Amino acid sequence: MLIAQLALNALALGSAYALVAIGFVLVLNATTAVNFAHGESVVAGGFAAVALAMFLPPDLGIPGLILLPGVLVVTAVLGLAIGALAYLPIHNRPPVSVFVTTIAVGIIIANSLNAGFGAAPQTAPALIGVGSFEFLGARLSRQSLAIIVTAIVLIGGLAFVLQRTQLGRQFRACSQDPEMARALGIRLTRITMLAFALGTALAGAAGLLLAHQFFISPSDGGSLILKAYIAVVIGGWGSLRGAAAGAMLIAIFEIGVAAISSQPVAEGLLYIVVLLVLFVRPQGLFGEPQQVRA
Amino acid sequence: MTGRITGRTGFMLIGGVALAVYALFFASSYDQRILTLSGVYVILVLGYQFIFGHAGALSLAQGAFFGTGAYVTGILGSQFGTGFLLTFPLSIAVATIIAAIVAVPVLRLQTHYFALATLALSQLLFLIGVNWESITGGANGLSGVPGITIGAWSFTRGLPLLAIVWAIVGLAMVVAYRQMTPRRVAAFTVMRETPLAAPSFGIDAGMLRLRAFLLSAAFGGAAGALFVHTNRVVSPDTLGFGVMITCLTMTVVGGRFGIAGAVLGALLLTHLPEWFRFLDAYYLVAVGVLLLASVVFAPNGIVSLLAADTERRTPARRPAGPGPVPFPPARPTHLSAENLSKRYGGVQALEAVTLHLESGDIAGVIGPNGAGKTTLANVLTGQAIPDTGRIQLGDDDITAQAAQGIARKGLARTFQTPQLPEGLRVRDVVETAQSYTRTGTGLSVEAALAPFGLLEHAETPCGALPHGVRRRVEICRAVATGPQILVLDEPAAGLTPDEQAEISDICTRLAGEGLAILLIDHNVEFLRPLATRLICMEAGRVIADATPAETLADPRVRDAYFGMNDL
Repeated sequence: MLIAQLALNALALGSAYALVAIGFVLVLNATTAVNFAHGESVVAGGFAAVALAMFLPPDLGIPGLILLPGVLVVTAVLGLAIGALAYLPIHNRPPVSVFVTTIAVGIIIANSLNAGFGAAPQTAPALIGVGSFEFLGARLSRQSLAIIVTAIVLIGGLAFVLQRTQLGRQFRACSQDPEMARALGIRLTRITMLAFALGTALAGAAGLLLAHQFFISPSDGGSLILKAYIAVVIGGWGSLRGAAAGAMLIAIFEIGVAAISSQPVAEGLLYIVVLLVLFVRPQGLFGEPQQVRA
Repeated sequence: MTGRITGRTGFMLIGGVALAVYALFFASSYDQRILTLSGVYVILVLGYQFIFGHAGALSLAQGAFFGTGAYVTGILGSQFGTGFLLTFPLSIAVATIIAAIVAVPVLRLQTHYFALATLALSQLLFLIGVNWESITGGANGLSGVPGITIGAWSFTRGLPLLAIVWAIVGLAMVVAYRQMTPRRVAAFTVMRETPLAAPSFGIDAGMLRLRAFLLSAAFGGAAGALFVHTNRVVSPDTLGFGVMITCLTMTVVGGRFGIAGAVLGALLLTHLPEWFRFLDAYYLVAVGVLLLASVVFAPNGIVSLLAADTERRTPARRPAGPGPVPFPPARPTHLSAENLSKRYGGVQALEAVTLHLESGDIAGVIGPNGAGKTTLANVLTGQAIPDTGRIQLGDDDITAQAAQGIARKGLARTFQTPQLPEGLRVRDVVETAQSYTRTGTGLSVEAALAPFGLLEHAETPCGALPHGVRRRVEICRAVATGPQILVLDEPAAGLTPDEQAEISDICTRLAGEGLAILLIDHNVEFLRPLATRLICMEAGRVIADATPAETLADPRVRDAYFGMNDL
């Protein structure tokens, strides 16, 4: 039954990672640039939850999940700020520039949180209380259940918007061929900013989901962006489904390896695997959608 | 390059003297320590400029190389009492070796994967530093690292330490200066800004990137070693992402290129904590804001705010004699391609293409979009490897050879989309192609420019040229490699009739000197009077290869290309 237990734990962790990775890809597809502040956006979501929880009356056992709308709004606004400061002014420059500006924004976010809250790890309230259910012979904590369900609802909602609405079609058009989309009258800047808001809000939601069980500290952004980044490389650069699948694989890997050895070994092995993957498949595991033409 | 005494260099000399006077007579021991650290970071940033500036690759491993050097010196020094003369070269060597091990898989990656791979490497080394306690001392690190002693002299603190660190900085500057000759800087620029075209002008992008990466690692290792001698302890912080951020910020704020940028960035960022002390806990926020503002408002760093050095050059002179300047003659040869095929996913871009070119030929290639014309050019010039077939240049089998090798053997090309680095002057672009292909006939750059009427544009940056002139520069650059075969991919696209006539005239005269030209274009009216032969392609196949009149009369050509039979 250990396997079932580990699988459940991995599913919960993977769900939260999937939100982070999908948010990363949303921005990536809208801008063709890597948003390095994305890890700090997760951290910001966690701290938004910590801060908002101070307004909840204590000892009433109000579920932390009630903070989700607030966290989404705060981090969506943060996403707009990231887009406006780190992307729009330099969107015509080579992608390396956006790397550097988003690294800068990441520094700003992490150190503002550090100055405001201190460097110590903080915890957000439990999502729907404590305790657990028996499930397939394993224990499914209420926390894990809430993480999985919340992630499914958010990702499902996003999928509905992207697949079924006019806005979603515009979104996909912009990521496939921005010039053509603009020529057809789609407001590219608006869609891009929306991608920053949505992507960062998903990261923020993941911050809320992770911040109870795993704690959150201002310096966590680095390893979180690295995991989203790796998930996207594993799943196929620019693929939303692939990002979710890659995130799940990372969670399984982390929990599986950590179960038989230790957390640092799991993390180190993950980086070695990534280096090996890039060694064997320099174009990423599933290649890239388009090639440059001379 | 002579006459570099004004502008940036003058500023640096005066600044350097002022700094030396300050360090010797006015600096407190604390100030001296900060200046020592500045020197350490100058070396780190000089190294980072190779890979981040010149090669244009976002390496996130520079901090890891720094940490590697730090730990080599830290472990050997504190545990075994090994002296500076041994630990310093070893620190450089180990960092460089780690870079060399990962270089092969990592350097061919595209930007975003390269950044990830170097970041993963850094995190891996950081984990090792924190967790391999028996060797690294774990999270606490190792203390008791000896200072720098060479023979009877010791440079353990204060002015002596400052002096030796800056002496090594001077050495690093000399290495950086000698590595980045104007010729190599131009080659890096071509590679960075037009990566697809660079190999066709003899530039081996892989070797350039490797050089930059190894140099960056060596400098990083040296900086890490000196850092540990200054602090006398080594801790996982030296491997942490913080060092990388510091290095990136210094490079971006100071400038990605040149010694002045490295010095300014390092000096500024090491002194910033002093000046921003009132910000307290928000100091690093200010660093982030500074980094962001630099990218947005001063993308070439604060060094770009200083006047650039003026270069004294005699203006380019037209070789004597009236009338059009003749082209240099080309050695006669022939190109034969047999049965070339190339498949991209589900598209058969080339299918069993056979083709011969002799000196003096101007073979036009027409065909609808997607017919495989550019693929043919790519396969012939080594930009793409054919699935089947054989390409022979004279007696040389050049099938599947690297593009830079083919370029050196005398097969030159231009590209459908302009491939000129905006910031480089026409002179530099042509000179780089001449010197990196080495097949050049020993002609001066002026002699290469003159027949194309480009002397007057020699000192103009390519980005400032009108489209028609750019097209001429591209052909001139290809011819400057001293080719026997020239492949032109839509050289007349988007040109006015007058400019088209110029291109046409250039082609005729080049062919007259014995060059064989493969000329891809859509414009039949442009090709008909010019071409000695006209090849028509459709869906990857050659469907006609005859005189222009015969090809244009061919019913299959009329059907495929014009979609009608009654032209």
